[in-house]
Amino acid sequence: MIVASILTPLEDLLRHILNALHSLGLPWAWSIVGLTIIVRMLLVPLTVKQIHSMQNMQAHAPQMKEIQRKYKGDRTKLNEELMKFYKENNINPAASCLPLLAQLPVFIGLFYTLRRFAKKPPPGDLSWLHFVPNIAKHANSHWSGYVLLAIYVLSQVASTYFMSGTMQKSQRYLMMVLPFVFIPFILKFPTGLVLYWMTTNLWTVGQGLVTRRLVPKVATTPTVAPAGPKRSSRTPPKDDAATGADIDTAAPAPRPTPAQTRRVKKKKGGARR
Amino acid sequence: MRYVGVAAVWAYRFTLAPFLGVGQCKYHPSCSQYAIDAYKEFGFFKGTVLAGWRLLRCNPWSRGGVDYARDQKVFK
Repeated sequence: MIVASILTPLEDLLRHILNALHSLGLPWAWSIVGLTIIVRMLLVPLTVKQIHSMQNMQAHAPQMKEIQRKYKGDRTKLNEELMKFYKENNINPAASCLPLLAQLPVFIGLFYTLRRFAKKPPPGDLSWLHFVPNIAKHANSHWSGYVLLAIYVLSQVASTYFMSGTMQKSQRYLMMVLPFVFIPFILKFPTGLVLYWMTTNLWTVGQGLVTRRLVPKVATTPTVAPAGPKRSSRTPPKDDAATGADIDTAAPAPRPTPAQTRRVKKKKGGARR
Repeated sequence: MRYVGVAAVWAYRFTLAPFLGVGQCKYHPSCSQYAIDAYKEFGFFKGTVLAGWRLLRCNPWSRGGVDYARDQKVFK
């Protein structure tokens, strides 16, 4: 109750954004996806910072490996030594708690918004992709809810896999098992909420994939050199439109060259699915 | 009273934390462990302040590192 009243302004804001997206012509389900993407996009600057720190970590990897080898048996000591090493070398470890917690009010606000949604469904299309009949209803009211739930659990496990880094093994397993434990509770949630989770998890996975691909790129910078002439050789065969396959095979080649711009582009593309 | 705080942190760990997405904290001990330590050592109110301050420090612009609740400098 108290939480609800504190979050009322945020709830209103979220509802306004939802309404705005809906009035732009998006169905309600896509408005929720859009709202999630907006929230995650606001967090992208933080992610870019994380990528930088990840590259920095990569550069210091050998020394860190040495520390890990030295304190193999003692997790606590190892963590402590690693943290000391970070501080000495001015490394900013990738994750931090505040951006994670920033999602919490949004999530709770969205929960209340969607619950009100379910009690008094607004006029308009409540279905999604022709297979979810009503996003305001509980996830277990239709088989599509179970599909979304499966995607949610998979994406949750995958995002844990990408985010967990040097986390303790036992904790990592716990985090991977918990989504399964939550299934009976989530079944009682509105489908729209599951939709939100799914989107935000898939975004996390997408980001994880992008950073995974980006980080080793630092070590293999020489690949930039051959990419230059390749691009120029691609332009002449473009004349005959029949050889579309030629363009397709050539297209991935110049990708590594604009590492800076690709970073942003890819992120958006990966998350929209 | 202080165990209310500890219980709240455990409740968070088992309910909300997995939903938010898992990241390792840049500090050692992690923010939630710090909160538990702070509650145990300083009681509910001081513990809440310390844990809140720690969370605010755990942002992308801070440097992280080793930071125990017992070494706090807020309450002297």
